[in-house]
Amino acid sequence: MRGGALPPALLCGALGLGLASAEGNAVLLGLAVLVVTACAIALAPVPGTWSDAAFLGCWTSIIASAAIVHGPWALRDKVALALSLNAGVWTGAVIALTPSKVELLEALPLALCAWPAAWARRRGQAIVLKVLASWLIAVAVLAATLQFLPVTPGYLPDHMD
Amino acid sequence: MRRAALDIAGTVCEGPWERKCTAGRVTAGITLAIALGVAQVTPTYAHMGTGLPGGFESGFRHPFTGWDHLLAMVSVGIWGAFLGRPLIYVLPVIFPAMMVGGAILGMFSVPLPLIELGIAVSVLALGLCVCLAIKAPAWGACAIVATFAVFHGDAHGVELPSAANPVGYSVGFVLATGLLHVFGIGIGLLNARPKGVLVTRSLGAAVALAGGWYLCLALGL
Repeated sequence: MRGGALPPALLCGALGLGLASAEGNAVLLGLAVLVVTACAIALAPVPGTWSDAAFLGCWTSIIASAAIVHGPWALRDKVALALSLNAGVWTGAVIALTPSKVELLEALPLALCAWPAAWARRRGQAIVLKVLASWLIAVAVLAATLQFLPVTPGYLPDHMD
Repeated sequence: MRRAALDIAGTVCEGPWERKCTAGRVTAGITLAIALGVAQVTPTYAHMGTGLPGGFESGFRHPFTGWDHLLAMVSVGIWGAFLGRPLIYVLPVIFPAMMVGGAILGMFSVPLPLIELGIAVSVLALGLCVCLAIKAPAWGACAIVATFAVFHGDAHGVELPSAANPVGYSVGFVLATGLLHVFGIGIGLLNARPKGVLVTRSLGAAVALAGGWYLCLALGL
């Protein structure tokens, strides 16, 4: 058990927080890119041997997307689209490795937090987003580290199973 | 009587609740929304056949079941409220981050000396910081909180890898820890009320007493 839809859901949430600082239609465009890319990759035949790489990419992308929130600058359109494309790729890759593709429908809606986050930012409450982003980074670092454990993680069968 | 109270995330609250501190409410609202969203994604992960039971629900519940951890988390929030900007929001960022650092040490079985003692001292020290309303410099407060966070993280990191769903467990654990900080900040808002400081400092004294008790237990007294 590596979290099921949870890693891509957190990635979508991190992207939403990151897109909150984008200007104009970049948020809408970014979300569209996320949905299209994630759906396309999720339906593609991703080899099971890529599992470790897909999860590592997902956790790394969460860190990158959440780190954007800490920047004082507004997100430029091209960066927002690149961030969305990246999130879509890793969201789709992880979902492609799960037994049920329906989990994509549970993960993608979390990206909609871009709008309440943008609202909070406009009201001068960007610090709230920074606190949440730092929690996401903490979780991602912890989860990514699990892959490099010298002991058998709980989601893998051990000698007792 | 107008009274400048707390300065939270750029919002100065003047007078008892005259200008609402929206940052705290926005944080609580967004955090609750994310918690509900994540809980919906991972309803409940029971024992999956390997390792210990663990998932979002289990990880979320964990900080609320250990009084030493709970008291330390809440105290960090209250102390942050005493210290004002920027520490009121920096401490809730530093603690989970350093707790993860400690958890990683625990996961890799890196021995940390006197863990139980460190946790007991953290409860005592943070309680005293609130009780005495210690105005530590920013770097000092960060160093104190970061050091204690490593002890708390290490204690929980040891058990994390054996959880059947460590990812869900981590999310629940970090989220609950953060919410306890927010709860502590909420208690700190009492400082804006008449005699509120007396209440919060009394709570700090109670936490310090509990920390003293834990310290006695850790020392085998």
